[in-house]
Amino acid sequence: MRRKYVRMTAPLLAITLIAAGCSDDEAAPGDTGEEVAPDTSDTGETADAAGTATTAATESTGGGGGGAAMARVTENDSVRCGSRDDLPGFATLDENGEPVGFDVDFCRVIAAAVLGDAEKGEAVPIETDARIPALQSGEIDVLVRNTTWTASRDGNDGVTFLQPNYYDGQRMMVAADSEYQALEDMDGTTVCVAAGTTTEGNVATEFERLGLTVSVESFDDVDLLQEAFVNGQCDGWSSDGSQLAGLRSTYPDGPESLVILEEVFSKEPLASAVVDGDSEWAQAVEWAIFATIQAEEFGITQDNVEEMRESDDPNIRSFLGGENAEGTELDVGLGLPPDFAYQVVSQVGNYGEIFDRHLAPLGLERGLNALYTDGGLMYSPPYR
Amino acid sequence: MTAPATLDKQAGRPPLWRDVRVLSWTFQLAVVGLVVLLVSWLWGNVQSNSDRLNIDTGFDFLDQPAGFPIPGSDFRNNQPISDAVVEGLLNTIRLAAAGLVLATLLGVLLGIARLSGNFLVRTGAKFYVEFVRNIPLLSLLYLIYLAVILTVFPRPVDSWTLEGLAVLNVRGSHVAWFDGSALALIGIVVLGMAAAWGVGRWRTTVAERTGQPARTALFALPVMALIVAAGWLIGGYTLNRPELDGNRVSGGIEMTPAYLGALLALVLYTSSHIAEIVRGSIQAVPIGQGEAANALALSGFQRTWHVILPQAMRIAIPPIGNQYLNLMKNSSLAAIISYGDLTKVTELGVANRSPAVPAYALTLLIYLGVSLVISLAVNIFNRRLALVER
Repeated sequence: MRRKYVRMTAPLLAITLIAAGCSDDEAAPGDTGEEVAPDTSDTGETADAAGTATTAATESTGGGGGGAAMARVTENDSVRCGSRDDLPGFATLDENGEPVGFDVDFCRVIAAAVLGDAEKGEAVPIETDARIPALQSGEIDVLVRNTTWTASRDGNDGVTFLQPNYYDGQRMMVAADSEYQALEDMDGTTVCVAAGTTTEGNVATEFERLGLTVSVESFDDVDLLQEAFVNGQCDGWSSDGSQLAGLRSTYPDGPESLVILEEVFSKEPLASAVVDGDSEWAQAVEWAIFATIQAEEFGITQDNVEEMRESDDPNIRSFLGGENAEGTELDVGLGLPPDFAYQVVSQVGNYGEIFDRHLAPLGLERGLNALYTDGGLMYSPPYR
Repeated sequence: MTAPATLDKQAGRPPLWRDVRVLSWTFQLAVVGLVVLLVSWLWGNVQSNSDRLNIDTGFDFLDQPAGFPIPGSDFRNNQPISDAVVEGLLNTIRLAAAGLVLATLLGVLLGIARLSGNFLVRTGAKFYVEFVRNIPLLSLLYLIYLAVILTVFPRPVDSWTLEGLAVLNVRGSHVAWFDGSALALIGIVVLGMAAAWGVGRWRTTVAERTGQPARTALFALPVMALIVAAGWLIGGYTLNRPELDGNRVSGGIEMTPAYLGALLALVLYTSSHIAEIVRGSIQAVPIGQGEAANALALSGFQRTWHVILPQAMRIAIPPIGNQYLNLMKNSSLAAIISYGDLTKVTELGVANRSPAVPAYALTLLIYLGVSLVISLAVNIFNRRLALVER
């Protein structure tokens, strides 16, 4: 109970962090209340002081946190990912209290690529409404938390979304013994959703589009939501399809007592996000994710990655950071070590392996998340 | 005779560094200056850091479409966020206002019960107060929501119904309500109350003049009932009864389960605090007052109602006012059980697209405003009740 109270105050904490952030740098010029003028130079100082000679430290136009994240990550020797601890398949805690899941593995992918060690990826559980402020304040380096990439989040929130690691869509789950076969049957019902997501709005919009009325209850806490659903307070439970599959798999009365309706009524590309204006860090994170996709396309797995380093295919050799036949090595200048893809695949695995490890057990099909060669959307730009 | 004058002059004008007025002004100005500096430095920090991180600190977001529905409200997805904030504020007021009235009634009753001569009543009240007063409100809220609302209340198909007047189930309750202008009805009720008050005054004068029993309620209540009934008929009001149809209830006024749960928790919690205040205030009334009432052969009710409570309330009002403020602020916890109050709306907004800093700052200011209004009302009431000493 206490824990929830603490988590509720997270947004305010984030504000305080922003308010007090960099106070050390600014206290020095004097407490005279001079505001805007000294700060511009301060930003530069912060970046310089922390920036351990990163070659392509991107100085952004609007004075975003230019190159700060990469320097911070290198200095802390750990990648802090905004994550959660209550979403089966994506991010939960195992019996030892260690975070596991699809999103957690992508955190490890980023750490393996940037720092060469997957164990240096630290999944920090964060409340939904605190995730963007936490990212902006630098409390976390990257958000890998089942977050839908939308235009207004991209535009308004001061964050940049990267390659989606899961293409999802919103669906509706109802009790198996209920009368509801489709959304059309659900006029005048109560639908429960997890608060602070795009889900509430989607339900309301979709029912409006179908000319139906609905009342939407939103809960901060998935456990509380499940309790309300079990006790008949809601007719439907709506969320992203992947989440529903995970929640269904751990439902107290057994998965067979729930059905997920056919309709998919929204596009939910779940993507990682970083702070705006830090393109060096954004590229590093994005290519770490691409590496898992490219590895699957090349057929490189955790088991055969050692052999693949000696492959006859020059593309694979340079992808894994090996020397090619002429004895030269490709440096693509991403600020990542040349063997980052090798580290990613050997320590965590390729996209398909990560998917099979965490999401296939929930009964999720690859669907849109298959490689483009199999009719899906997973496509990595060429590594050359 | 110059010596006294010099003394006077010296006494009136000590050197600046020893002049109490100068010193106190200097210190106070210095403190104010420091506070202003600190605040402006913090705000400057927010501004510059926000600029650096491209975080919006303006209030333009209020005109944006909200993009989220509010639980238990007709609010449309695409109305502007400012409407959502207003709706949230109204929900907060709905919860807090009902909570204030019920917590006061229950609290006063419990406070009196704590001093009852009846062992069972006294001990029961004591256990209740000591239990509820000493647990965190958040735990109580969870407990009530999970153990009472979700577990005790029946499924929609097995709803408890009070024939045509109320329907209660796990989805909340529907209570019979009127159809027609609410404002006019309030006017009618106020008119009735004014008439009842006038009748009461008249009865008191008669009682004072003739010595007959006043019987204020006996005369005033029928007058009020008559006026309200007449207004109801003339205004063409009808009763809108809730009806159960399968899973759904139509008609009447709806109270969501979140509202019921939050109201119950807030009332139970605050009433236990008010009970302690009332008990203390009653005990603070000089014991001779009660003895004097006994000596006049007043009944138990008359002694409490006419002698003890009026004096006790004078002591109790300021601390009860504090409890009112607490109740209003505590109502923000209802957000966790999906009650669409101001806090919930801000949470939803921030999770969707409102910038966190201005959104929470605005919420903070609104809570502050409501608090100040409650505080002001309690102060005015307190001043009117205070003993006027001549």
